[in-house]
Amino acid sequence: MDKRQGVQEASSLELRYLDPDEVRVWRGEDGRVYCTIADELTVLTPMFMRSHPLSDLERYLSIRGVEPKERSVAMGKEFGLLRNWHRLDPDSRAIVEAELERRYLHPKVFAILSVRDYSGVQVCEFDTDRGLREVTLRDVRDNVIYLGRSRILITDAEGNRYDIEDVNTLDPDSRARLARIL
Amino acid sequence: MAESNHIPEDVGEAVQGVRPGAEIRVVAFSDLGPDGNFGEQFLALADDRLLVFSSDSEGPQLLKDLPFSDVSKVEIETLVGGAALRAVVNGRREDLLSFSHAMSDAFGRVRIQLDALIEGKPLPEVEERAKRCATCGLFLGEHTRVCPRCLRKGATLRRLLGYTKPYAGRMVLVGCLMMGGILAGLVPPYLTKVLVDRVLDPRTNYHLVIWLVLGLASASLAHTGLEIWRNRVTAWLGARISFDIRSQLYERLQWLSMRYYDHHPTGTIISRLTQDANGIQDLLAYALPFLVVSVVTIFAVSVILLGMNWKLALIAMVPLPLLFLVVRKLWRLLRRAFHNWWYRWRRFHGLVADALGRVKVTKAFSQQQSEIGRYFYRNDELRAAGAYADATAGTFFPLMWLIIGSGSLLVWYFGSMLQMHQGITLGTIVAFLAYLAMVQFPLEFLGHSTQWITRALTAAERVFEVLDAESESEQSRGEVELEEIHGEVEYRNVGFGYEKHQQVLKDMSFTVRPGQMLGLVGKSGVGKSTIINLLCRFYDADEGEIFIDGVPLRDVSLWSYRGRLGVVLQEPFLFSGTIAENIAYAKPEATPEEIMAAAKIANAHDFIIGKPDGYDEQVGERGNRLSGGEKQRVCIARAILHNPAILILDEATASVDLETEQQIQEAIGRLIKGRTTFAIAHRLSTLRNAHKLLVLDEGRIVESGTHDELKAKKGLYAKLLDIHRRTSTVGAIDG
Repeated sequence: MDKRQGVQEASSLELRYLDPDEVRVWRGEDGRVYCTIADELTVLTPMFMRSHPLSDLERYLSIRGVEPKERSVAMGKEFGLLRNWHRLDPDSRAIVEAELERRYLHPKVFAILSVRDYSGVQVCEFDTDRGLREVTLRDVRDNVIYLGRSRILITDAEGNRYDIEDVNTLDPDSRARLARIL
Repeated sequence: MAESNHIPEDVGEAVQGVRPGAEIRVVAFSDLGPDGNFGEQFLALADDRLLVFSSDSEGPQLLKDLPFSDVSKVEIETLVGGAALRAVVNGRREDLLSFSHAMSDAFGRVRIQLDALIEGKPLPEVEERAKRCATCGLFLGEHTRVCPRCLRKGATLRRLLGYTKPYAGRMVLVGCLMMGGILAGLVPPYLTKVLVDRVLDPRTNYHLVIWLVLGLASASLAHTGLEIWRNRVTAWLGARISFDIRSQLYERLQWLSMRYYDHHPTGTIISRLTQDANGIQDLLAYALPFLVVSVVTIFAVSVILLGMNWKLALIAMVPLPLLFLVVRKLWRLLRRAFHNWWYRWRRFHGLVADALGRVKVTKAFSQQQSEIGRYFYRNDELRAAGAYADATAGTFFPLMWLIIGSGSLLVWYFGSMLQMHQGITLGTIVAFLAYLAMVQFPLEFLGHSTQWITRALTAAERVFEVLDAESESEQSRGEVELEEIHGEVEYRNVGFGYEKHQQVLKDMSFTVRPGQMLGLVGKSGVGKSTIINLLCRFYDADEGEIFIDGVPLRDVSLWSYRGRLGVVLQEPFLFSGTIAENIAYAKPEATPEEIMAAAKIANAHDFIIGKPDGYDEQVGERGNRLSGGEKQRVCIARAILHNPAILILDEATASVDLETEQQIQEAIGRLIKGRTTFAIAHRLSTLRNAHKLLVLDEGRIVESGTHDELKAKKGLYAKLLDIHRRTSTVGAIDG
């Protein structure tokens, strides 16, 4: 069977899982990212999307084409899923990692350094893996998602999201400040 | 009372008077007379005669006498507030008698019995649902046997106390701490007496002061310490008990039959879970312990006072009965005022929520002024109720303290007189005043505690009512575990009505082979959803039987059966959680790959990946962060993952746009492959591929066959198809 045919079929009824060995991601001389699947199909500027961006960062990465829409780029069809993108060859992995870094702005909070309360609006200083950040929270109780027992996602007044992966690992001061917010 | 199996004497006599020697096979009593006023009539089937008698003070009078063999059908016409039983005699409808809704059930059974006899079947045993209390006859409804009138408060209280049993140790501890606290509280006034009489009054013995003050201090400390300890244990107990009750209640709610939910609005059920459960907690953790403390304190203080000086003690107690009565009276007033206020608040909330919800309509019809007017009225109502409640409370409490204070006035006056004439000590008077202060609060509490306790007991009764209601697992002890369901479904002469006298399905018979798709067609209200409800076994058929792979559905274990049933409803139901959790609802152990595979088949994978959080996306309450078509596809993915043998599609593509519908149709096409499918759809085109279509009208099958067969037949289906085609053309032009 023609391999190209196989890739086409993946979009109809069944998911196609890609072998990390048959996927190569590289940057062309034009600076754009290319992805070659099974040596016979090359996708220009592919999209790498996590299927479980919160619960599982490594597994089930969806590789998709893009469809240019009028103003932005829309998601195109799926070429396949990688069960574990860490198994890609190191060069490909580095590019995928950078692409994911770019797509998912998803700061993880290590500490809450301060909280100031202005009648319902709280201004907090978060120490995150992407650096220090002053965050304004409004109606925070409506904008917090509890994942499991100890993980919390907080959306600030401007719509950015901050991830506290385990409340119990925060230092006591941060935890006390968090309790004040929630 | 309507009763069809046992025949009262006067009925027997009346029938024998008309038809000597006839055997009475069916009898039923109406609560209305022939003139439609409250009175009595009865219907009897004696041999082959259908007799109707009125019965008044002069005894039974024969009103109608029909040959039963001429009756081809018996009907119940539902009227407002009541209903009438009619017979079709030689094609003519003849009114037999009418009755109020109180008798609907009984006559529903009579209709079933008479119909069976007309068809030449043996007289069916129709089970009577006991709706009234067996002791006092109070109407209870179908789902509870708890009669509020016959319920003994003592029994409820005992049952409530049962909840404390697992924590008996802590309850005993609370009891001990209570007694300790009371004892410690009794010490200081006595030491004060000693201090006054031995030191202050005679101005001697000053070396005792330090010891007395130390005694006072340690009594106060002990009292406070014990009090704190008791409060903490009580808080733990209260929270624990209400947790237990809420858990038990919620578990019960999950298992209650659909009929229960038909008759109880969700709001009432929620209030059982919240307010009533809290009421019980208040009673067990606060009211009862405090009641005991109050009674013991009052008793102990009375004994001490009588021992110190019985004359003064009796005088001091003079205002107490007055206090008790006034508190009782005023508290009732106060409670009514606050209750009223609370009720106004609720109405006010309702109005505001309603008005803000339709703000667009208000603006469009420029009705702002009238909305403001309505609001003003409710707001004013609320103001008046609030002012009244606060004013009542503001009057009540000072008055109460005045009466309580009057006890000390008496002690001052008569104490002084007694000191003058009989030489009681100053210390005694001081101790008296202190002891009186100790009983003031308990007395006030006793005054209103009966109401508090009654209220809590009523709450408990309501909770027990739910706990005692019939649950699914009880009504349907199916024993047969179906290892594998192939999906053959047969309805054999099935009859059913949500209310006994109103049959929704009549003599319904059909068979669906494994893997076939059955389409149900008809106007709304003809019984399509009822067929599905019976298939899901939310209800049991009143007549006939449903077979799954040849086994009567009644005998199949509900658990194993529902596990193989899949449902995609018109209103797609998602719960708050992630998309992945929603898909895996019926199979929580599913792997991510299984979930994604199901989503792919349901045409959902791509839109899910497109969400910022992918499969981890929160769908919001009831899934409201997804569009209608997205929700629908998540539900289809859920059904695919569940892999049911029998699938139910209820209008699954209503209310979505054409492109989405196409995607959903495609997904459904994949879903139904190899499964027995029951599909309801208003868009008849979606049923084109069904192996068999049943066209229903008034609870009966009027046509059946494939799409093409029915089209050629030019019957009801062809007519519906025609209407459908015309409306969709209009829709297309509009669109």
